[in-house]
Amino acid sequence: MTKEFSVPPVVFRSGGGVNPPAGNVNQRRVPTAPFQPSRPPSSSSSAIPFMSFDIGSAPSSSGSFGGTISTSGASGSASFDDEEPLLDELGIHPGQIWHKTKSILNPFRVNPTAHKDSDLSGPIFLYLSLCLFQLLAGKIQFGVILGWIVVSSIFLYIVFNMLAGRNGNLDLHTCTSVVGYCMLPVVILSAASLFIPQGSSVPRYALAGVFVVWATRACTNLMVTLADGGEEHRGLIAYACFLIYTLFSLLVIF
Amino acid sequence: MAIFNTQGEEGCVQIIVQPAGKEQMNPFGDALYGAGTDLIKTELGAYGEKLFRSGSAYVPGNISRYFSNPQYYFQVSDQYVMNKLKLILFPFLHKGHWMRATETVGGEFSYKPPIHDINAPDLYIPLMAFGTYVVLAGFFLGINGKFSPEAVGLQATNGLLCWLFQVLLLEATLHTLGDGDVPLLDIIAYGGYTFAVVSVVLLCRILWSHCFYVVTLWECFCMGMLLVKIMKRILIAEVRRSENHSSKRHYLLLLVAVAQVPLLFWLGNIAV
Repeated sequence: MTKEFSVPPVVFRSGGGVNPPAGNVNQRRVPTAPFQPSRPPSSSSSAIPFMSFDIGSAPSSSGSFGGTISTSGASGSASFDDEEPLLDELGIHPGQIWHKTKSILNPFRVNPTAHKDSDLSGPIFLYLSLCLFQLLAGKIQFGVILGWIVVSSIFLYIVFNMLAGRNGNLDLHTCTSVVGYCMLPVVILSAASLFIPQGSSVPRYALAGVFVVWATRACTNLMVTLADGGEEHRGLIAYACFLIYTLFSLLVIF
Repeated sequence: MAIFNTQGEEGCVQIIVQPAGKEQMNPFGDALYGAGTDLIKTELGAYGEKLFRSGSAYVPGNISRYFSNPQYYFQVSDQYVMNKLKLILFPFLHKGHWMRATETVGGEFSYKPPIHDINAPDLYIPLMAFGTYVVLAGFFLGINGKFSPEAVGLQATNGLLCWLFQVLLLEATLHTLGDGDVPLLDIIAYGGYTFAVVSVVLLCRILWSHCFYVVTLWECFCMGMLLVKIMKRILIAEVRRSENHSSKRHYLLLLVAVAQVPLLFWLGNIAV
Protein backbone atom coordinates (compact mmCIF):
# COMPACT_ATOMS: atom_id res chain seq x y z
CA MET A 1 0.00 0.00 0.00
CA THR A 2 1.90 3.04 -1.17
CA LYS A 3 0.47 6.19 0.10
CA GLU A 4 1.74 9.23 1.74
CA PHE A 5 0.83 10.19 5.22
CA SER A 6 1.12 13.89 5.37
CA VAL A 7 1.67 14.57 8.99
CA PRO A 8 1.27 18.14 9.96
CA PRO A 9 4.07 19.54 12.06
CA VAL A 10 3.42 19.44 15.75
CA VAL A 11 3.48 22.89 17.11
CA PHE A 12 3.23 23.46 20.79
CA ARG A 13 1.60 26.78 21.51
CA SER A 14 1.70 28.38 24.82
CA GLY A 15 -1.56 30.19 24.42
CA GLY A 16 -5.05 28.85 24.26
CA GLY A 17 -7.34 28.96 21.39
CA VAL A 18 -8.11 26.36 18.90
CA ASN A 19 -4.99 25.12 17.24
CA PRO A 20 -5.15 22.95 14.19
CA PRO A 21 -3.28 19.99 15.74
CA ALA A 22 -5.80 19.97 18.54
CA GLY A 23 -8.51 20.13 15.99
CA ASN A 24 -6.95 17.21 14.22
CA VAL A 25 -6.75 15.32 17.47
CA ASN A 26 -10.38 15.94 18.01
CA GLN A 27 -11.08 14.73 14.58
CA ARG A 28 -8.91 11.73 15.20
CA ARG A 29 -10.90 10.85 18.24
CA VAL A 30 -14.10 11.16 16.38
CA PRO A 31 -14.03 7.89 14.44
CA THR A 32 -16.31 6.36 17.00
CA ALA A 33 -19.06 8.15 15.15
CA PRO A 34 -18.19 7.23 11.64
CA PHE A 35 -21.75 7.36 10.45
CA GLN A 36 -21.58 10.89 9.30
CA PRO A 37 -23.41 11.03 6.07
CA SER A 38 -22.19 14.43 5.16
CA ARG A 39 -18.51 13.82 5.20
CA PRO A 40 -17.21 14.88 1.87
CA PRO A 41 -14.00 13.30 0.71
CA SER A 42 -12.33 16.66 0.58
CA SER A 43 -12.49 17.08 4.31
CA SER A 44 -10.77 13.80 4.86
CA SER A 45 -7.95 14.78 2.61
CA SER A 46 -7.36 17.86 4.65
CA ALA A 47 -7.26 15.83 7.84
CA ILE A 48 -4.83 13.03 8.47
CA PRO A 49 -5.72 10.49 5.84
CA PHE A 50 -5.40 7.40 7.96
CA MET A 51 -7.60 4.37 7.59
CA SER A 52 -11.15 5.05 8.51
CA PHE A 53 -13.98 2.59 8.41
CA ASP A 54 -17.49 3.42 7.48
CA ILE A 55 -20.01 0.75 8.07
CA GLY A 56 -22.89 1.47 5.81
CA SER A 57 -25.46 -0.82 4.42
CA ALA A 58 -24.25 -1.23 0.92
CA PRO A 59 -26.61 -2.23 -1.88
CA SER A 60 -27.91 -5.73 -2.34
CA SER A 61 -28.78 -6.32 1.25
CA SER A 62 -32.12 -8.03 1.18
CA GLY A 63 -34.21 -9.56 3.89
CA SER A 64 -32.60 -12.95 3.75
CA PHE A 65 -30.49 -13.94 6.66
CA GLY A 66 -26.81 -13.23 6.39
CA GLY A 67 -26.90 -10.24 4.16
CA THR A 68 -23.97 -8.29 2.99
CA ILE A 69 -21.56 -6.67 5.33
CA SER A 70 -19.43 -4.23 3.48
CA THR A 71 -16.90 -1.92 4.95
CA SER A 72 -16.14 0.69 2.41
CA GLY A 73 -13.77 3.54 2.49
CA ALA A 74 -14.07 7.11 3.45
CA SER A 75 -16.83 7.61 0.90
CA GLY A 76 -19.53 6.23 3.19
CA SER A 77 -22.62 5.46 1.20
CA ALA A 78 -25.88 4.72 3.04
CA SER A 79 -26.31 5.86 6.56
CA PHE A 80 -26.94 4.00 9.76
CA ASP A 81 -30.62 4.81 9.61
CA ASP A 82 -31.04 2.97 6.32
CA GLU A 83 -29.78 -0.28 7.77
CA GLU A 84 -32.10 -3.05 8.64
CA PRO A 85 -32.55 -4.00 12.23
CA LEU A 86 -30.08 -6.68 13.22
CA LEU A 87 -32.63 -9.35 14.04
CA ASP A 88 -34.39 -8.90 10.73
CA GLU A 89 -31.14 -9.13 8.88
CA LEU A 90 -30.31 -12.36 10.66
CA GLY A 91 -33.76 -13.73 9.99
CA ILE A 92 -34.69 -14.14 13.64
CA HIS A 93 -38.24 -13.09 14.35
CA PRO A 94 -38.93 -13.36 18.08
CA GLY A 95 -42.65 -12.92 17.65
CA GLN A 96 -42.82 -15.82 15.25
CA ILE A 97 -40.64 -17.98 17.48
CA TRP A 98 -42.84 -17.30 20.47
CA HIS A 99 -45.95 -18.01 18.43
CA LYS A 100 -44.58 -21.34 17.21
CA THR A 101 -43.39 -22.34 20.66
CA LYS A 102 -46.79 -21.56 22.13
CA SER A 103 -48.46 -23.77 19.55
CA ILE A 104 -46.46 -26.77 20.77
CA LEU A 105 -47.68 -26.22 24.30
CA ASN A 106 -51.05 -27.72 23.49
CA PRO A 107 -50.48 -31.38 22.72
CA PHE A 108 -53.98 -32.18 21.69
CA ARG A 109 -54.54 -29.75 18.93
CA VAL A 110 -51.99 -28.99 16.29
CA ASN A 111 -51.80 -25.61 14.66
CA PRO A 112 -49.75 -26.06 11.54
CA THR A 113 -50.22 -22.57 10.13
CA ALA A 114 -47.59 -21.16 12.42
CA HIS A 115 -45.08 -23.75 11.26
CA LYS A 116 -45.58 -23.37 7.54
CA ASP A 117 -42.39 -21.41 7.08
CA SER A 118 -39.65 -23.22 8.88
CA ASP A 119 -36.84 -21.52 10.67
CA LEU A 120 -33.92 -22.74 12.63
CA SER A 121 -33.48 -19.99 15.16
CA GLY A 122 -36.23 -21.27 17.45
CA PRO A 123 -34.70 -24.74 17.55
CA ILE A 124 -31.30 -23.24 18.28
CA PHE A 125 -32.77 -21.30 21.17
CA LEU A 126 -34.48 -24.44 22.51
CA TYR A 127 -31.25 -26.41 22.09
CA LEU A 128 -29.34 -23.81 24.09
CA SER A 129 -31.91 -23.83 26.85
CA LEU A 130 -31.79 -27.64 27.00
CA CYS A 131 -28.02 -27.49 27.27
CA LEU A 132 -28.39 -24.88 29.99
CA PHE A 133 -30.67 -27.05 32.09
CA GLN A 134 -28.38 -30.02 31.59
CA LEU A 135 -25.50 -27.83 32.71
CA LEU A 136 -27.42 -26.95 35.83
CA ALA A 137 -27.77 -30.67 36.46
CA GLY A 138 -24.04 -31.07 36.16
CA LYS A 139 -23.80 -32.60 32.71
CA ILE A 140 -21.87 -30.83 30.00
CA GLN A 141 -23.46 -32.19 26.84
CA PHE A 142 -23.46 -29.38 24.31
CA GLY A 143 -21.84 -31.33 21.53
CA VAL A 144 -23.71 -34.52 22.25
CA ILE A 145 -27.13 -32.91 22.05
CA LEU A 146 -26.30 -31.02 18.88
CA GLY A 147 -24.95 -34.16 17.24
CA TRP A 148 -27.97 -36.16 18.25
CA ILE A 149 -30.35 -33.51 16.93
CA VAL A 150 -28.60 -33.52 13.57
CA VAL A 151 -28.53 -37.31 13.31
CA SER A 152 -32.12 -37.73 14.40
CA SER A 153 -33.43 -35.12 12.00
CA ILE A 154 -31.58 -36.79 9.12
CA PHE A 155 -33.02 -40.12 10.28
CA LEU A 156 -36.56 -38.78 10.39
CA TYR A 157 -36.10 -37.09 7.01
CA ILE A 158 -35.00 -40.36 5.42
CA VAL A 159 -37.76 -42.42 7.03
CA PHE A 160 -40.52 -39.95 6.20
CA ASN A 161 -39.53 -39.50 2.59
CA MET A 162 -39.05 -43.20 2.02
CA LEU A 163 -42.40 -44.03 3.56
CA ALA A 164 -44.21 -41.30 1.71
CA GLY A 165 -42.95 -42.55 -1.62
CA ARG A 166 -43.19 -40.52 -4.73
CA ASN A 167 -45.27 -37.73 -3.31
CA GLY A 168 -43.16 -37.14 -0.24
CA ASN A 169 -42.00 -33.57 -0.20
CA LEU A 170 -40.49 -33.06 3.20
CA ASP A 171 -37.25 -31.13 3.05
CA LEU A 172 -34.47 -31.24 5.58
CA HIS A 173 -34.92 -27.67 6.77
CA THR A 174 -38.57 -28.23 7.67
CA CYS A 175 -37.70 -31.55 9.27
CA THR A 176 -35.02 -30.04 11.48
CA SER A 177 -37.29 -27.15 12.35
CA VAL A 178 -40.12 -29.45 13.45
CA VAL A 179 -37.81 -31.77 15.41
CA GLY A 180 -36.25 -28.75 17.08
CA TYR A 181 -39.50 -27.10 18.07
CA CYS A 182 -40.92 -30.33 19.43
CA MET A 183 -37.97 -30.50 21.80
CA LEU A 184 -39.87 -28.06 23.97
CA PRO A 185 -41.36 -30.84 26.15
CA VAL A 186 -37.87 -32.31 26.62
CA VAL A 187 -36.62 -28.88 27.71
CA ILE A 188 -39.45 -28.64 30.22
CA LEU A 189 -38.64 -32.18 31.38
CA SER A 190 -35.03 -31.28 31.99
CA ALA A 191 -36.09 -28.22 33.93
CA ALA A 192 -38.54 -30.24 36.00
CA SER A 193 -36.09 -33.05 36.64
CA LEU A 194 -33.82 -30.62 38.43
CA PHE A 195 -36.30 -30.66 41.26
CA ILE A 196 -36.91 -34.39 41.42
CA PRO A 197 -34.32 -36.35 43.39
CA GLN A 198 -31.54 -37.89 41.35
CA GLY A 199 -31.24 -41.57 40.79
CA SER A 200 -33.28 -43.89 38.68
CA SER A 201 -36.72 -44.06 40.19
CA VAL A 202 -40.16 -44.70 38.89
CA PRO A 203 -41.49 -41.13 39.25
CA ARG A 204 -38.70 -39.93 37.00
CA TYR A 205 -39.57 -42.52 34.39
CA ALA A 206 -43.25 -41.73 34.58
CA LEU A 207 -42.63 -38.00 34.21
CA ALA A 208 -40.29 -38.61 31.30
CA GLY A 209 -42.85 -40.87 29.71
CA VAL A 210 -45.51 -38.17 29.82
CA PHE A 211 -43.26 -35.59 28.22
CA VAL A 212 -42.00 -37.99 25.58
CA VAL A 213 -45.54 -38.88 24.57
CA TRP A 214 -46.37 -35.18 24.38
CA ALA A 215 -43.38 -34.50 22.15
CA THR A 216 -44.21 -37.48 19.95
CA ARG A 217 -47.79 -36.39 19.46
CA ALA A 218 -46.78 -32.85 18.59
CA CYS A 219 -44.07 -33.95 16.20
CA THR A 220 -46.22 -36.51 14.40
CA ASN A 221 -49.11 -34.14 13.99
CA LEU A 222 -46.89 -31.44 12.61
CA MET A 223 -45.04 -33.73 10.23
CA VAL A 224 -48.20 -35.20 8.85
CA THR A 225 -49.85 -31.84 8.29
CA LEU A 226 -46.83 -30.00 6.96
CA ALA A 227 -45.69 -32.46 4.32
CA ASP A 228 -47.82 -34.65 2.09
CA GLY A 229 -47.66 -38.35 1.88
CA GLY A 230 -47.59 -39.05 5.57
CA GLU A 231 -51.26 -39.53 6.29
CA GLU A 232 -51.54 -43.27 5.92
CA HIS A 233 -48.26 -43.92 7.73
CA ARG A 234 -49.08 -42.02 10.85
CA GLY A 235 -48.31 -44.81 13.26
CA LEU A 236 -45.03 -45.65 11.57
CA ILE A 237 -43.84 -42.06 11.70
CA ALA A 238 -45.05 -41.74 15.27
CA TYR A 239 -42.82 -44.63 16.26
CA ALA A 240 -39.79 -43.00 14.67
CA CYS A 241 -40.49 -39.73 16.53
CA PHE A 242 -41.02 -41.70 19.72
CA LEU A 243 -37.57 -43.26 19.38
CA ILE A 244 -35.96 -39.88 18.85
CA TYR A 245 -37.52 -38.22 21.88
CA THR A 246 -36.94 -41.24 24.10
CA LEU A 247 -33.27 -40.97 23.23
CA PHE A 248 -33.20 -37.36 24.36
CA SER A 249 -35.13 -38.11 27.50
CA LEU A 250 -32.48 -40.73 28.35
CA LEU A 251 -29.96 -37.92 28.40
CA VAL A 252 -32.14 -36.05 30.83
CA ILE A 253 -33.08 -38.88 33.15
CA PHE A 254 -29.72 -40.53 33.58
CA MET B 1 -17.87 -16.34 -0.33
CA ALA B 2 -15.56 -13.48 0.51
CA ILE B 3 -14.07 -10.98 -1.87
CA PHE B 4 -11.12 -9.02 -0.63
CA ASN B 5 -10.43 -5.98 -2.62
CA THR B 6 -7.62 -3.74 -1.71
CA GLN B 7 -7.80 -0.32 -3.09
CA GLY B 8 -4.53 1.39 -2.94
CA GLU B 9 -5.25 4.97 -3.52
CA GLU B 10 -7.21 5.77 -0.45
CA GLY B 11 -5.64 3.29 1.82
CA CYS B 12 -8.89 1.53 2.59
CA VAL B 13 -9.81 -2.09 2.39
CA GLN B 14 -13.09 -3.13 0.96
CA ILE B 15 -14.38 -6.43 2.25
CA ILE B 16 -17.53 -8.01 1.00
CA VAL B 17 -18.68 -11.06 2.89
CA GLN B 18 -21.71 -12.91 1.65
CA PRO B 19 -22.54 -16.03 3.56
CA ALA B 20 -24.87 -18.64 2.15
CA GLY B 21 -28.49 -17.68 1.89
CA LYS B 22 -31.54 -19.74 2.63
CA GLU B 23 -31.90 -20.99 -0.91
CA GLN B 24 -28.71 -22.94 -0.52
CA MET B 25 -30.27 -25.13 2.13
CA ASN B 26 -32.58 -26.85 -0.28
CA PRO B 27 -29.98 -28.58 -2.44
CA PHE B 28 -29.32 -30.74 0.56
CA GLY B 29 -32.86 -31.95 0.26
CA ASP B 30 -32.53 -32.48 -3.46
CA ALA B 31 -29.13 -34.03 -3.16
CA LEU B 32 -30.50 -37.03 -1.37
CA TYR B 33 -32.63 -37.69 -4.40
CA GLY B 34 -29.89 -36.94 -6.86
CA ALA B 35 -28.10 -39.82 -5.33
CA GLY B 36 -24.46 -40.32 -4.96
CA THR B 37 -23.27 -36.74 -4.95
CA ASP B 38 -20.02 -35.94 -3.28
CA LEU B 39 -21.79 -34.03 -0.56
CA ILE B 40 -23.64 -37.14 0.53
CA LYS B 41 -20.60 -39.34 0.26
CA THR B 42 -18.35 -37.17 2.31
CA GLU B 43 -20.80 -36.02 4.93
CA LEU B 44 -22.76 -39.17 5.48
CA GLY B 45 -20.21 -41.79 4.59
CA ALA B 46 -19.18 -42.13 8.17
CA TYR B 47 -22.59 -43.32 9.28
CA GLY B 48 -22.39 -46.65 7.63
CA GLU B 49 -24.42 -48.44 5.11
CA LYS B 50 -27.81 -47.44 6.37
CA LEU B 51 -27.40 -44.00 4.87
CA PHE B 52 -26.54 -45.15 1.36
CA ARG B 53 -30.11 -44.68 0.25
CA SER B 54 -30.64 -43.42 -3.24
CA GLY B 55 -33.75 -41.57 -4.22
CA SER B 56 -36.74 -42.91 -5.97
CA ALA B 57 -36.63 -41.12 -9.29
CA TYR B 58 -32.95 -40.64 -10.01
CA VAL B 59 -30.83 -43.72 -9.67
CA PRO B 60 -27.61 -43.30 -11.56
CA GLY B 61 -26.10 -46.29 -13.25
CA ASN B 62 -23.42 -46.96 -10.67
CA ILE B 63 -25.73 -47.15 -7.73
CA SER B 64 -28.37 -49.22 -9.43
CA ARG B 65 -25.83 -51.91 -10.13
CA TYR B 66 -25.38 -52.54 -6.43
CA PHE B 67 -28.63 -51.43 -4.89
CA SER B 68 -32.10 -52.11 -6.09
CA ASN B 69 -34.67 -49.39 -5.71
CA PRO B 70 -34.95 -48.72 -1.96
CA GLN B 71 -38.44 -47.29 -2.34
CA TYR B 72 -39.73 -50.83 -2.73
CA TYR B 73 -38.66 -51.75 0.78
CA PHE B 74 -40.55 -48.95 2.42
CA GLN B 75 -43.98 -49.68 0.99
CA VAL B 76 -45.30 -50.91 4.29
CA SER B 77 -48.38 -50.43 6.36
CA ASP B 78 -49.26 -50.86 10.01
CA GLN B 79 -50.87 -54.20 9.35
CA TYR B 80 -47.82 -55.52 7.54
CA VAL B 81 -45.50 -54.39 10.33
CA MET B 82 -47.60 -56.14 12.97
CA ASN B 83 -47.77 -59.37 11.04
CA LYS B 84 -44.15 -59.35 10.09
CA LEU B 85 -43.10 -58.84 13.68
CA LYS B 86 -45.20 -61.82 14.66
CA LEU B 87 -43.46 -63.77 11.91
CA ILE B 88 -39.99 -62.77 13.06
CA LEU B 89 -40.56 -63.47 16.72
CA PHE B 90 -42.50 -66.72 16.29
CA PRO B 91 -41.48 -68.20 12.95
CA PHE B 92 -42.73 -71.64 13.89
CA LEU B 93 -46.28 -70.33 14.05
CA HIS B 94 -46.31 -69.34 10.41
CA LYS B 95 -49.04 -71.37 8.81
CA GLY B 96 -48.55 -70.39 5.22
CA HIS B 97 -45.64 -70.93 2.90
CA TRP B 98 -42.51 -68.85 2.73
CA MET B 99 -42.48 -68.08 -0.97
CA ARG B 100 -42.71 -64.54 -2.14
CA ALA B 101 -45.59 -63.54 -4.34
CA THR B 102 -44.63 -62.51 -7.82
CA GLU B 103 -46.28 -60.36 -10.37
CA THR B 104 -45.58 -59.59 -13.94
CA VAL B 105 -45.49 -55.89 -14.56
CA GLY B 106 -45.31 -55.00 -18.19
CA GLY B 107 -43.57 -58.19 -19.17
CA GLU B 108 -41.05 -57.87 -16.40
CA PHE B 109 -40.97 -60.31 -13.58
CA SER B 110 -40.92 -58.71 -10.16
CA TYR B 111 -41.98 -59.33 -6.63
CA LYS B 112 -44.96 -57.82 -4.98
CA PRO B 113 -44.18 -55.02 -2.54
CA PRO B 114 -44.25 -55.77 1.17
CA ILE B 115 -47.66 -54.24 1.62
CA HIS B 116 -49.18 -57.11 -0.35
CA ASP B 117 -46.94 -59.94 0.66
CA ILE B 118 -45.96 -60.98 4.14
CA ASN B 119 -42.86 -62.79 2.94
CA ALA B 120 -41.29 -59.82 1.23
CA PRO B 121 -38.34 -58.15 2.95
CA ASP B 122 -38.64 -54.56 4.02
CA LEU B 123 -36.25 -51.99 5.42
CA TYR B 124 -38.55 -50.18 7.79
CA ILE B 125 -38.53 -52.87 10.46
CA PRO B 126 -34.72 -53.28 10.51
CA LEU B 127 -34.21 -49.53 10.76
CA MET B 128 -36.73 -49.11 13.56
CA ALA B 129 -35.51 -52.21 15.33
CA PHE B 130 -31.97 -50.88 15.26
CA GLY B 131 -33.19 -47.62 16.77
CA THR B 132 -35.13 -49.54 19.41
CA TYR B 133 -32.03 -51.56 20.22
CA VAL B 134 -29.98 -48.38 20.74
CA VAL B 135 -32.66 -46.81 22.95
CA LEU B 136 -33.12 -49.97 25.00
CA ALA B 137 -29.37 -50.35 25.38
CA GLY B 138 -29.19 -46.80 26.68
CA PHE B 139 -32.02 -47.51 29.08
CA PHE B 140 -30.36 -50.67 30.33
CA LEU B 141 -27.09 -48.83 30.84
CA GLY B 142 -28.90 -46.12 32.71
CA ILE B 143 -30.67 -48.49 35.05
CA ASN B 144 -27.31 -49.95 36.01
CA GLY B 145 -25.85 -46.52 36.49
CA LYS B 146 -23.41 -46.70 33.63
CA PHE B 147 -25.11 -44.35 31.23
CA SER B 148 -23.05 -41.96 29.17
CA PRO B 149 -23.55 -40.73 25.62
CA GLU B 150 -20.31 -42.37 24.58
CA ALA B 151 -21.52 -45.73 25.82
CA VAL B 152 -24.69 -45.40 23.77
CA GLY B 153 -22.64 -44.54 20.72
CA LEU B 154 -20.50 -47.58 21.39
CA GLN B 155 -23.55 -49.82 21.50
CA ALA B 156 -24.78 -48.33 18.25
CA THR B 157 -21.45 -49.09 16.62
CA ASN B 158 -21.53 -52.62 17.99
CA GLY B 159 -24.96 -53.04 16.51
CA LEU B 160 -23.81 -51.82 13.11
CA LEU B 161 -20.87 -54.20 13.18
CA CYS B 162 -23.17 -57.04 14.02
CA TRP B 163 -25.49 -56.10 11.19
CA LEU B 164 -22.54 -56.10 8.84
CA PHE B 165 -21.47 -59.50 10.11
CA GLN B 166 -24.93 -60.95 9.51
CA VAL B 167 -24.96 -59.56 5.99
CA LEU B 168 -21.53 -61.03 5.28
CA LEU B 169 -22.57 -64.39 6.65
CA LEU B 170 -25.68 -64.55 4.50
CA GLU B 171 -23.87 -63.32 1.42
CA ALA B 172 -21.09 -65.86 1.91
CA THR B 173 -23.62 -68.66 2.20
CA LEU B 174 -25.44 -67.56 -0.90
CA HIS B 175 -22.30 -67.21 -2.92
CA THR B 176 -21.04 -70.61 -1.88
CA LEU B 177 -24.24 -72.38 -2.68
CA GLY B 178 -25.19 -70.66 -5.88
CA ASP B 179 -24.33 -67.63 -7.88
CA GLY B 180 -25.72 -65.23 -5.30
CA ASP B 181 -27.57 -62.83 -7.51
CA VAL B 182 -29.84 -61.63 -4.75
CA PRO B 183 -30.18 -57.84 -4.36
CA LEU B 184 -27.95 -56.48 -1.61
CA LEU B 185 -30.76 -54.56 0.05
CA ASP B 186 -32.67 -57.83 0.47
CA ILE B 187 -29.78 -59.27 2.44
CA ILE B 188 -29.44 -56.09 4.45
CA ALA B 189 -33.12 -56.35 5.32
CA TYR B 190 -32.82 -59.99 6.40
CA GLY B 191 -29.75 -59.20 8.45
CA GLY B 192 -31.53 -56.36 10.15
CA TYR B 193 -34.34 -58.54 11.44
CA THR B 194 -31.92 -59.65 14.16
CA PHE B 195 -32.47 -56.36 15.92
CA ALA B 196 -36.14 -56.98 16.42
CA VAL B 197 -35.20 -60.17 18.18
CA VAL B 198 -32.42 -58.58 20.21
CA SER B 199 -34.74 -55.79 21.32
CA VAL B 200 -37.06 -58.38 22.81
CA VAL B 201 -34.10 -59.97 24.59
CA LEU B 202 -33.06 -56.62 26.00
CA LEU B 203 -36.59 -55.83 27.09
CA CYS B 204 -36.78 -59.09 29.00
CA ARG B 205 -33.40 -58.42 30.51
CA ILE B 206 -34.54 -55.01 31.73
CA LEU B 207 -37.67 -56.40 33.26
CA TRP B 208 -36.07 -59.38 34.95
CA SER B 209 -32.34 -59.77 34.73
CA HIS B 210 -32.18 -63.46 35.45
CA CYS B 211 -34.00 -64.59 32.37
CA PHE B 212 -31.26 -63.38 30.04
CA TYR B 213 -29.79 -66.74 29.10
CA VAL B 214 -33.07 -68.53 28.63
CA VAL B 215 -34.59 -65.82 26.51
CA THR B 216 -31.43 -65.45 24.44
CA LEU B 217 -31.25 -69.13 23.68
CA TRP B 218 -34.90 -69.17 22.77
CA GLU B 219 -34.51 -66.22 20.46
CA CYS B 220 -31.41 -67.78 18.90
CA PHE B 221 -33.52 -70.74 18.02
CA CYS B 222 -36.20 -68.51 16.52
CA MET B 223 -33.75 -66.40 14.60
CA GLY B 224 -31.94 -69.45 13.33
CA MET B 225 -35.15 -70.97 12.12
CA LEU B 226 -36.20 -67.75 10.42
CA LEU B 227 -32.94 -67.36 8.59
CA VAL B 228 -32.76 -70.98 7.52
CA LYS B 229 -36.26 -70.87 6.09
CA ILE B 230 -35.51 -67.65 4.28
CA MET B 231 -32.26 -68.95 2.88
CA LYS B 232 -33.88 -72.16 1.72
CA ARG B 233 -36.53 -70.20 -0.07
CA ILE B 234 -33.97 -67.97 -1.70
CA LEU B 235 -31.90 -70.92 -2.79
CA ILE B 236 -34.86 -72.70 -4.27
CA ALA B 237 -36.57 -69.81 -5.92
CA GLU B 238 -34.20 -67.04 -6.67
CA VAL B 239 -30.76 -68.42 -7.19
CA ARG B 240 -29.89 -70.24 -10.34
CA ARG B 241 -27.36 -73.03 -10.43
CA SER B 242 -27.89 -74.01 -6.84
CA GLU B 243 -27.16 -77.54 -5.78
CA ASN B 244 -30.10 -79.17 -4.12
CA HIS B 245 -30.06 -81.76 -1.38
CA SER B 246 -26.36 -81.73 -0.97
CA SER B 247 -24.76 -82.11 2.39
CA LYS B 248 -22.77 -78.95 1.76
CA ARG B 249 -26.03 -77.02 1.70
CA HIS B 250 -27.23 -78.60 4.90
CA TYR B 251 -24.02 -77.87 6.74
CA LEU B 252 -23.95 -74.27 5.59
CA LEU B 253 -27.51 -73.66 6.64
CA LEU B 254 -26.75 -75.24 9.98
CA LEU B 255 -23.75 -72.94 10.29
CA VAL B 256 -25.99 -69.94 9.67
CA ALA B 257 -28.35 -71.05 12.42
CA VAL B 258 -25.59 -71.85 14.89
CA ALA B 259 -23.79 -68.56 14.22
CA GLN B 260 -26.79 -66.74 15.64
CA VAL B 261 -25.92 -67.93 19.13
CA PRO B 262 -22.67 -65.99 19.66
CA LEU B 263 -24.12 -63.04 17.74
CA LEU B 264 -27.16 -62.65 19.93
CA PHE B 265 -25.13 -63.16 23.06
CA TRP B 266 -22.71 -60.50 21.94
CA LEU B 267 -25.47 -58.02 21.23
CA GLY B 268 -27.41 -58.75 24.36
CA ASN B 269 -24.45 -58.66 26.65
CA ILE B 270 -24.11 -54.98 27.20
CA ALA B 271 -21.03 -54.40 29.25
CA VAL B 272 -22.13 -53.17 32.60
